Amino acid sequence: MIPLSRIGEGVLMALDAMRANKMRSALTVLGVIIGVATVMTMASIVQGVRSQIFNAIEVAGPTTFYVMRYFSQTPLNPDNLPYEVRIRPVLRESDAEAIRQVPEIQYAGMWIQVFARLEYQGTQTQMITVWAADDHYMELQGGTLLRGRFFTRSELTGEQVMVLEEQTAEHLFGRLDPMERTVRVNGVPFRIIGIYLKPDNIFEPPGQETAGIIPYRAAKYNLRYDETNTLWISVKGRPEISVAKAQDLVTVALRRERKLRPGVPNTFDLITQDQILDIMGSLTSAFFGVMVALSSVALLVGGIGVMAIMMVSVTDRTREIGLRKALGATRREILLQFLVEAATLTLMGGLLGILVGLGLGEVLKRVLNLESSVPLWSAALATVVSVGIGLAFGLYPANKAAAMDPIEALRHE
Amino acid sequence: MSDLVISVRDLTRSYEMGAEVVQALRGLDLEIRRNEYVAIMGPSGSGKSTLMNMIGCLDTPSSGEYWLNGQEVSRMGDDALARVRNKEIGFVFQTFNLLPRATALHNVELPLVYAGTTARERRARGEEALARVGLADRMHHRPNELSGGQRQRVAIARALVNRPSILLADEPTGNLDSATSDEIMRVFEALHAEGQTVIMVTHEAEIAAHAKRVVVLRDGRVESDVLNQPKAA
Repeated sequence: MIPLSRIGEGVLMALDAMRANKMRSALTVLGVIIGVATVMTMASIVQGVRSQIFNAIEVAGPTTFYVMRYFSQTPLNPDNLPYEVRIRPVLRESDAEAIRQVPEIQYAGMWIQVFARLEYQGTQTQMITVWAADDHYMELQGGTLLRGRFFTRSELTGEQVMVLEEQTAEHLFGRLDPMERTVRVNGVPFRIIGIYLKPDNIFEPPGQETAGIIPYRAAKYNLRYDETNTLWISVKGRPEISVAKAQDLVTVALRRERKLRPGVPNTFDLITQDQILDIMGSLTSAFFGVMVALSSVALLVGGIGVMAIMMVSVTDRTREIGLRKALGATRREILLQFLVEAATLTLMGGLLGILVGLGLGEVLKRVLNLESSVPLWSAALATVVSVGIGLAFGLYPANKAAAMDPIEALRHE
Repeated sequence: MSDLVISVRDLTRSYEMGAEVVQALRGLDLEIRRNEYVAIMGPSGSGKSTLMNMIGCLDTPSSGEYWLNGQEVSRMGDDALARVRNKEIGFVFQTFNLLPRATALHNVELPLVYAGTTARERRARGEEALARVGLADRMHHRPNELSGGQRQRVAIARALVNRPSILLADEPTGNLDSATSDEIMRVFEALHAEGQTVIMVTHEAEIAAHAKRVVVLRDGRVESDVLNQPKAA
């Protein structure tokens, strides 16, 4: 019925009306801009985080898994553990040793994630992560040793030595040579014996950036840490056996070590990379879901704004509507005119929102050191959604305009 | 009979105003032939606005018949009326009713948009209509860059662009000074001379004197219907 060229004219008319009321139009579609920009930014961040988690797991190798006292998707409060956690023993070196005795296991070692501030002569870092592990650290986490060395066998017994991460070294020492100097980790002195470069694209949330690696026992003897949430045994099976097989062997070895009788449940949990991936996946999805919900509120507000301003516009232009009807415009043509105008308005908002979202995504990627691109589908979806909002919220005002009586409308002052 | 443009028989129109029923037209008869130049006059409340809305196909009667150019308009629905207005009627309003942000040419093209005319033809016919009212050099001016008389001439060009059966003017000089009113009247006379049927609603006898026939309404009926004597030079 209604030719496509008519829609084109409607768009031109709407753009003209927008030019005449730049400020009003911009404020009207602000909600749409914010909503679309939020979704775009979030989509690019979530995309980036996901791809880096995949990267990290690829570096560690899918055969690595972890033994923990208790596995919980959210960190437990260490001062108020539930009963089923408290009855389980804290992981000990003898547990790791028992696992190491299994011939099919290539590596098993005690690891602690210590949250700490590093300090050198008054220069401090933020709260970051110091890994307490052993000389096999790079086999599991990747990265390269730029200078110096990793721990010797005798240092593993609890020497306060540290392999410092490169960016942290630059932050603390600037142009000074950090080698053999002493850094304080939560006040405890550690001597620098090496400089370490992280692998590219490693995913590290704020506060969990790797600042350095120290021997496990040095942390155990000198630093405070949480024995439930941040202490685990990292295990790697030999390449020729499956992860499931390795897990079975580790379970048997640990049960024997802890003298658990058949029928008694395990007093430890095993976590695979797949589980971590799942958790990260559901976390990022939940995060994304929340942002989508929030931005739909913004879009809803934007839609209501569009509706309000279209109502004003219809009232303002009552005489114009009367005139158009007198000149032969049908109901449908008036309806279409105002729908196209509303949709053009929100489409402009959507396009602006995409630009803002791309910009913000770029900035956040730099800040969070993420590597990702905005998924194309999210831009396409944002465009469609913003047009849809214009049509949905423009329908009521457009219908009001279309239903006007031309005589009344022409008489309107 | 074929040169009858308008044939109105026993037309009534009543409105409900709250509890009251107002009889605006009470059995009105009127015939207008092609190339007539008619002024419709009457005091306020005589029904002249209602009659104008009927003739302009903006309103439908409560009873009676209205034939416009051989079609019975009085029984038509909204969309059919819109098409008839677009094809048959050229409106000229007291307040011009031009789109303020559109150029003169764009304003004149507006009825052709709803007629589904192509952009190229719209432009050609818009330019031709503006030339007819002597505004060939003002095509790309906006209404606020034109004088009152020029604005009304743009409105007349808009009314002519669809080559309507009737040019229907409602108090066309109501917002103009007397010199400009004369200018507009000369345009109407020229159009009439070219064969255009012109119907003009006015309450000013001076303006009505320009028409060839004057119909006076009172209480919703025709009170008098006389031919004007040619003015003494």
